Amino acid sequence: MSNETLVSVENLGVRFAVKRGGGWGKASYLYAVDDVSFEIKRGETLAIVGESGSGKTTTALAVARLVEAYQGKVDLDGTDFLSLDPEELRLARAKMQFIFQDPYSSLNPRLRAEQIVREPLDSLGTMDEAEKKEIVDRLFAEVGLRPEQQRLFPHQFSGGQRQRIGIARALATQPDLIICDEAVSALDVAVQAQILNLLRKLQADLNLTYLFISHDLGVVQHMCDSIAVMYMGRVVEHGSRMDLFNNPLHPYTSALLSAVPSVDKARREATKRILIPGDPPDPVNLPAGCRFANRCPVATDICRQQDPALRDVKGGHKVACHLVGEDAVSPL
Amino acid sequence: MEPLLKVENLRIELTTRTGVAPVIDNLSFELGAGESISFVGESGCGKSMTALGIMGLLPEKVGRIASGSITFNGEELTTASPKRLRDIRGNDISMIFQEPMTSLNPVYTVGEQIAEVIRAHQGLSRKAAWNQAIELLDAVRIPNAKGRVSDYPFQMSGGQRQRVMIAIALACEPKILIADEPTTALDVTVQAQIFDLLNDMKRQTGASIIMITHDMGAVAEMAERMIVMYAGRKAEEGPVEQTIEHPRHPYTRGLISCVPHIMSTISEERHALTEVPGIVPSLSDFGQNRCLFASRCNMVTQKCLEERPPEKPFANGQKAACWYAEEV
Ligand SMILES: Nc1ncnc2c1ncn2[C@@H]1O[C@H](COP(=O)(O)OP(=O)(O)OP(=O)(O)O)[C@@H](O)[C@H]1O
Ligand SMILES: Nc1ncnc2c1ncn2[C@@H]1O[C@H](COP(=O)(O)OP(=O)(O)O)[C@@H](O)[C@H]1O
Ligand code: SF4
Ligand code: SF4
Ligand SMILES: [Mg+2]
Ligand SMILES: [Mg+2]
Repeated sequence: MSNETLVSVENLGVRFAVKRGGGWGKASYLYAVDDVSFEIKRGETLAIVGESGSGKTTTALAVARLVEAYQGKVDLDGTDFLSLDPEELRLARAKMQFIFQDPYSSLNPRLRAEQIVREPLDSLGTMDEAEKKEIVDRLFAEVGLRPEQQRLFPHQFSGGQRQRIGIARALATQPDLIICDEAVSALDVAVQAQILNLLRKLQADLNLTYLFISHDLGVVQHMCDSIAVMYMGRVVEHGSRMDLFNNPLHPYTSALLSAVPSVDKARREATKRILIPGDPPDPVNLPAGCRFANRCPVATDICRQQDPALRDVKGGHKVACHLVGEDAVSPL
Repeated sequence: MEPLLKVENLRIELTTRTGVAPVIDNLSFELGAGESISFVGESGCGKSMTALGIMGLLPEKVGRIASGSITFNGEELTTASPKRLRDIRGNDISMIFQEPMTSLNPVYTVGEQIAEVIRAHQGLSRKAAWNQAIELLDAVRIPNAKGRVSDYPFQMSGGQRQRVMIAIALACEPKILIADEPTTALDVTVQAQIFDLLNDMKRQTGASIIMITHDMGAVAEMAERMIVMYAGRKAEEGPVEQTIEHPRHPYTRGLISCVPHIMSTISEERHALTEVPGIVPSLSDFGQNRCLFASRCNMVTQKCLEERPPEKPFANGQKAACWYAEEV
């Protein structure tokens, strides 16, 4: 595996204007993505985890310029992605593709499978029909669909097969980066295993890079090389798969991991559940200090006063918590 | 001793465009007082239908109990009057559903909805019922229960709405709580809170729990006994730990091994997941006299295609409907 950084995201910020309580008051902002930075190496998978509403999807959409970032930089293979003009963007988009959660609604029901897979090539507009047909034929084989299924419409496929069509479509333009947003969450476990195996095989064969969003930590553990944990728009911990799972440092990460029910008896017995009572704070009126302080079992005065910054504590293992020192020991 | 709930040779038929199909096909199981069991299996295998059948809530004109019996505390439910079933639903058997938003009424506050159940169940005054609603919200750990009792469902998060549903279920003081994928739409940290809550409730009231889920980890954490459903039939039943440790049905084995679990330590090495090829058969293929798992099974023989496998019991209480259960 190369050591080359394919994607580098720096201080990314996305905010949405929200009106509170009507009247003439000026709009306040919900910072859905707040100062987010991470890197993904070519051929690797970065997983983003975090609770619902923490900003995972918005981060991915901003990286792909499907929502507008108000600050920050996205570098894709040396291209400053956020400053491309519309024509440059159209061509560059081919390098970054999405696979969505819902294999039912993300495919146009009026198009045949073959048209769906060909669509990104059509909009790229650089190939003749014969070239496109050759690519589509190859893609169908690669994702495990039969040639005669090219003529069928989405409703004639099962959920897993529809997700294969979505994968074929994402692969069509030979992207460098594929963003999978809850790509297997709607599937039953058996079909999920088929799709996860396919994604890993394609990654190995084509040296693909994935940004993989999932709420299922078992799936994340199986798929990723590194992880970013998000909480209320922030990355609170970022590190390698081994570091995150075997030595979680941020109290929220620990709570998240401890909440996963496990079939492994040894794990159930070794894991003390870390309860985080209550709810996250109002995202429009954020507290001054650490956003996790009202639920954190070890919060101190400094936590309620100062917002902890994400910093490298040990060989690339980054955490945003006042109580984690240079020794990289969990404060719990 | 008679079990609290006893289901025998239950057959539930659904009428669809393509004909009548047995969505539940000869299902038998028992539930003891204070016991918790889990139903597990892929979508479409009949888990929810089992629950709705017990509750007397099968889809009207579409579903009906064709044969078999369901007895609760010795009373036959399959022939009970609609009024009696309503009574049992209000007092003895409660159900919480996957999507709490659809089961709460959007135009009433959560307090009004909880209080109404309390009044119907315990005949308390309006004021007393309201106060008890606050207590229940507090019991299900809604912060600031006194303030939140006047919230409408849309003002609450998914996890809070599910806790309200549990509060309503608790208001009935049921002997059996059926939870159909109660946490599927929720974050794991919220799921952990809901599981704790259900376990507390079980300890305090001695209620039995039937939890439906597709997550083996949740089964391992929540249940004493598990029932694996496949295509309307019971594939396997057994004590949770032993069944997960040594499944006796190839489908159970597949369900466990196809999922990437988090083990006690994570190692560098990763293998491809074991695949269970194919998908659950469609409803119109249910009910045939053969093993319905055959098309996905790597142990299939001619015999499996010719006759429905009977349930084989094992000494530890496990039972598996597979011709080759001893060899799994
Ligand atoms: N109202 C209905 N009319 C017709 N068919 C139905 C109806 N409800 C359910 N079914 C069918 O019955 C079968 C079993 O459904 P059921 O909901 O019991 O399964 P399940 O295992 O609980 O699935 P899930 O996990 O998706 O909820 C499926 O094939 C489903 O399509
Ligand atoms: N179009 C929008 N308008 C206003 N708020 C939004 C919009 N999209 C997302 N948000 C808010 O941004 C936050 C992050 O959302 P999202 O990225 O969808 O999170 P996740 O994918 O982790 O569930 C949430 O608080 C969400 O409500
Ligand atoms: S900074 Fe303080 S409140 Fe925030 S996670 Fe660390 S210990 Fe908890
Ligand atoms: S009966 Fe045959 S096909 Fe069915 S699970 Fe057993 S071995 Fe497989
Ligand atoms: Mg999302
Ligand atoms: Mg169901």
